[in-house]
Amino acid sequence: MSNLSDKQLLKELRDLITQRRSFENELKELSRDYQDVTKKLRESEALKSHFISNISNEIVNPFTSILGLSKSILSVEKQDWKKVVSMVALIHSEAFNLDFQLRNIFVAAKIEAGEIQPNIAKVNIRSLIQTVLDSFQIVARKMGIEIILQFNIEYGFGKNFYFKTDSEKLKLIVSNLINNALKYSYKDSKIIINVWVDDDVLNLSVQDYGTGISEKNQKIIFERFKRLDSGINSINRGHGLGLSITKALLDVLGGNIEIDSKKGEGSTFTISLPEAKNIVEGFSGEGNDMFFDEGDEIF
Amino acid sequence: MDNYLQHFLYPSSLFVSKDPYLVKTILGSCVAVCLWDKRLKIGGINHFMLPHWNGNDLASPKYGNIAIDKLVEKMLYNGSRIEDLQAKIFGGGELLSANTGRNSTTMIGERNIRVARMMLEEKNIQVVASSTGGKKGRKILFFTNTGEVRHKFLDKQTT
Repeated sequence: MSNLSDKQLLKELRDLITQRRSFENELKELSRDYQDVTKKLRESEALKSHFISNISNEIVNPFTSILGLSKSILSVEKQDWKKVVSMVALIHSEAFNLDFQLRNIFVAAKIEAGEIQPNIAKVNIRSLIQTVLDSFQIVARKMGIEIILQFNIEYGFGKNFYFKTDSEKLKLIVSNLINNALKYSYKDSKIIINVWVDDDVLNLSVQDYGTGISEKNQKIIFERFKRLDSGINSINRGHGLGLSITKALLDVLGGNIEIDSKKGEGSTFTISLPEAKNIVEGFSGEGNDMFFDEGDEIF
Repeated sequence: MDNYLQHFLYPSSLFVSKDPYLVKTILGSCVAVCLWDKRLKIGGINHFMLPHWNGNDLASPKYGNIAIDKLVEKMLYNGSRIEDLQAKIFGGGELLSANTGRNSTTMIGERNIRVARMMLEEKNIQVVASSTGGKKGRKILFFTNTGEVRHKFLDKQTT
């Protein structure tokens, strides 16, 4: 070993240097990663406080209207039914809005706390979508927007199509999409909802003829929807959580969302949702599979 | 065995309990960190899919850096002290053959493991056991009261 030639020594030296360089690079990369993460965390803190101020508007405004309206109903001439009915309708739509927003916020909190999990059952898709549509009907009528449902599933007797998924989560996903479509639609237009099935995948698209989203913003709405809200369209109400919740919920259910939009011509959001299986790779969903195999290692 | 309450841990979620639970989960390139408190005999586990939060989606425990922070936070909330915590790390296999290349952007499993080890070291939590990497999926059963983990490789591919 003692008589290494100069050549060998040089080679070893060179190897060591390259190795060191790669370590340095790695270190640099890691520290850059680290800096990125700290920056993001700091931003997120700022976002959170911004978010809370946004939210408080979302909650305080409907409450103010509900309180004010119900008070004036109490003092209105009782013969004036038309007035009362219109005010009750307003109260209903504000309360509906409030309920919808709060549901979103609670789900977001649950997702962030890691407490969300699919709750799978057989769901009657048509009636689920119809329920969601009905709940938006009042708002839609007020804006003169027609919501058209194209249900393209022929199944069994053509009436009831059952699909294994989480009904509450799917409801919220569909509600968010319709809510968005309504929010960015012009008066007196329409929204088309299309439902179809490919193999075991349920597809649903919501198409509006509203403002549309520029290509640049199409990336942002999925990635940093929270931030879009603070600047460009702060005229519109909303907490900016809708799409990020939709995406996270689809994650839980193993689904996907795509957008197709042109500025000025409207947008189409399409979700695809695979049917949930009872059997998760190696486990049946039930509790009675807890016996151990011989092959188990213990740590 | 039968008197254990059972919980199936889904990806991007976490679970901590003071009561004895049997937590099961399936791991592909995801990583699960099991924390066990040897003083209080309680445990918690997470299951994350990606190493770092991208700052854009909801800050959910889908991401390693969030999931580990949250898990430790929850353990502390339940009365644990950092010095009593022991960690076990599982998962992080590279199941897709496309992921076996040297390209660091696709080595999700590897990066998930690295985040877990780095964050635990930073928090001074001892890693007492681990089974990570490889090309197979895993199923694990975690007993929150004893900290015991039963572990088995899966032959079929999982995600």
